[in-house]
Amino acid sequence: MSLSENFFAGVDVGSLAAKAVILKDGEIFATGLLKSGVNSVESGLSALNLALDAAGLKKEDLTYIVGTGYGRVSAPYANKAVTEITCHAKGANYLHPTVRTIIDMGGQDCKAIRIDENGAVVDFAMNDKCAAGTGRFLEVMAEVFKVKLEDLGAIALSATDTVPMSSTCTVFAESETISLIARGEKPENILNGIHHSIANRIAGLFSRVGITSDVFFSGGVAKNSGMKSAIEQALKVTIVRPEIDPQLIGALGAAVLARSFAKKEGLWAA
Amino acid sequence: MGKQLFRYSEEHKEKFLESENITFNDGSVVTSEEIWHYLTVEGPKKYPGSFEVNLYQGNRNSRDETLPTSLKTHYLGLTFSDRMEKAKDRGKSIAFIQGGQAVDPYTAADTIALRPGLVNQWNRDLVHGNDINKEFLRRKELKEKAFHDMSFEACQTGGYEHIQAGNLRVDVIAPFTVLRCSDVSYGVEAHRHGPNKNVKLINVDYPLRHQADKPWAIEYFAQNLRKLVGTLDEVTGRTTSEEDLLASIKLHNEGRRLGTELSELWWSTDVPPTNSADRASLVGLGNLDNHGDVRASLSVLKEAKKFIAERVKNGVKGHAVPDNPKRIFILGSCVGINTARSEDSGAIVVGKDDQWSHCSTLVEEEGDPFYNLAKYTLEYPYEQSIEKRAQWTIEQIKKSRADGVIFIHNWGCNTQAAVARPILDVIKREIGIPTYIQERDLHGLQHEQEQNRVNAFIEML
Repeated sequence: MSLSENFFAGVDVGSLAAKAVILKDGEIFATGLLKSGVNSVESGLSALNLALDAAGLKKEDLTYIVGTGYGRVSAPYANKAVTEITCHAKGANYLHPTVRTIIDMGGQDCKAIRIDENGAVVDFAMNDKCAAGTGRFLEVMAEVFKVKLEDLGAIALSATDTVPMSSTCTVFAESETISLIARGEKPENILNGIHHSIANRIAGLFSRVGITSDVFFSGGVAKNSGMKSAIEQALKVTIVRPEIDPQLIGALGAAVLARSFAKKEGLWAA
Repeated sequence: MGKQLFRYSEEHKEKFLESENITFNDGSVVTSEEIWHYLTVEGPKKYPGSFEVNLYQGNRNSRDETLPTSLKTHYLGLTFSDRMEKAKDRGKSIAFIQGGQAVDPYTAADTIALRPGLVNQWNRDLVHGNDINKEFLRRKELKEKAFHDMSFEACQTGGYEHIQAGNLRVDVIAPFTVLRCSDVSYGVEAHRHGPNKNVKLINVDYPLRHQADKPWAIEYFAQNLRKLVGTLDEVTGRTTSEEDLLASIKLHNEGRRLGTELSELWWSTDVPPTNSADRASLVGLGNLDNHGDVRASLSVLKEAKKFIAERVKNGVKGHAVPDNPKRIFILGSCVGINTARSEDSGAIVVGKDDQWSHCSTLVEEEGDPFYNLAKYTLEYPYEQSIEKRAQWTIEQIKKSRADGVIFIHNWGCNTQAAVARPILDVIKREIGIPTYIQERDLHGLQHEQEQNRVNAFIEML
């Protein structure tokens, strides 16, 4: 392997998944994604090893690694740690330089991020210590309805009505949903209500930071077409989804930053 | 496995011993040698939590050991609970007050005034040998008990709970009703209906609606302050004269003047002469109310000013301050961000509005001291209308050359939660710097969610 090929990695250890992206000469070269466990060091390393295996590389071949996500505070394999807010901004900007607004919905939090033409964060807001509007919330709902997580959105889109949900607390919403089912409400209409209630919370975050086109949707929940549609209705915008797995955007942004830090620190010359 | 504790290094002992003694209200003096002994022998045994190397305290091995007054504020904090117990044994009167008050009338009436945080600290440190986890578990249990006893959650419920439970020998509860903390009214009601009737309650009626420009409002509030001092006198059995209040105002003005000068010195240089925590604890001495002893605070403050002036002159950077830090101004009551972890992320806190609002204005020394004090209290910039408070805050942001502003408040603090957004909107509109609102969980030791947002804000700057 020639060192001149310049490999940079980003590792994003979230609450539900660990992700890694390797860039080679500025292009996405390999990725790794798995469920994260309780040991965030191991989770991050496993995701990185998955990506390294896919690339046919060893860790020593990497010039620089940036860690992000909640696991970044315990990422001894990384040269630097950066918050996922900054990384999602860089990742979105890398894929779509015209993006100015990002909705990121991950395992345990959701973020409204506004960025400039360089992918630098201009303003942001996040959910307040509550799992409403996150991947974990939708996982709980999928369990209640005994359907696959990835089918939730399509079921919601087939609704003929929207059942209002009075609670967005994950635990209380679960019991409310069970009582709505017992009352005879159709599952698709309840799910539609759940998606709309989450979308309205997201819209609330944007009242703080504002919206500028293009609007980009990242994080695991971005795979849910029902959520995309509900947010588009709530925000009255058209959303751009990434061409790659939306869960990888944070790790991608971390890899982009790894490249830029390496250059700044004289470890690599473009 | 035991927790790792830091020790003050012998390397800095000599310089510390050359520093000044601390003189207390009762005339007693503690020498620098006695302070060093306490900080290195007695303190770590009594309060290991305060010496614990823990992420919550920034994983630091020490405070700024080359700044003796930093160690002295640590000493005053560690000895606070014992000093309050001794003060009670000597028959001293102690009052529980809330934020937004000037403590000048209490000093005049020979009464120690303690804000909610200090009441909690007094109770916390009655128990020795606790590490950080045990301290927090104890605090959390008490908050839960207070919630069940009073049926509301707010930052100062712990104080009422201690007093109702008879844990602390507080003589008087003296809130200024309708000033600042909306939750004070609930606390007062909980106290009125609680089983412990031995603690006197004084309701000082603070005029609503920002009426500092109306002579009748000032006179009305001055009358209330006279009633306050009269009630304090009923407890102490002494008579407080106008001359006593004037002497107290002069003493507190000296503290306020010194605190302001120290802050301006700190702001005058591009190289921060202390880290955020030391800045806050030293400038905070200016109100002379943080350690339950006005004279002790004043003596450390005087010495601190000399040290800071020397550091500014020589371009000395404070302990653990990052290179070219992003400068953050903090708004809001009672809580702040984790300064050590924020410094590790490349930032420094250059100011905070709350107590600074009290410190940066002086009370007129000529004329009726009650009227002057009433006027001063009604004019606190922090307690003004949103637009006025924001304009004053903008001046402080400019003076401190802050790059960004974080408004942080406790969960349940309705007053600050309500004004956070409009104040930041004015700041954004007028000077366009980045702002952020953070709500603090009342119970937590781990604030990863909060720190994640603060770090993202620092990265954004």
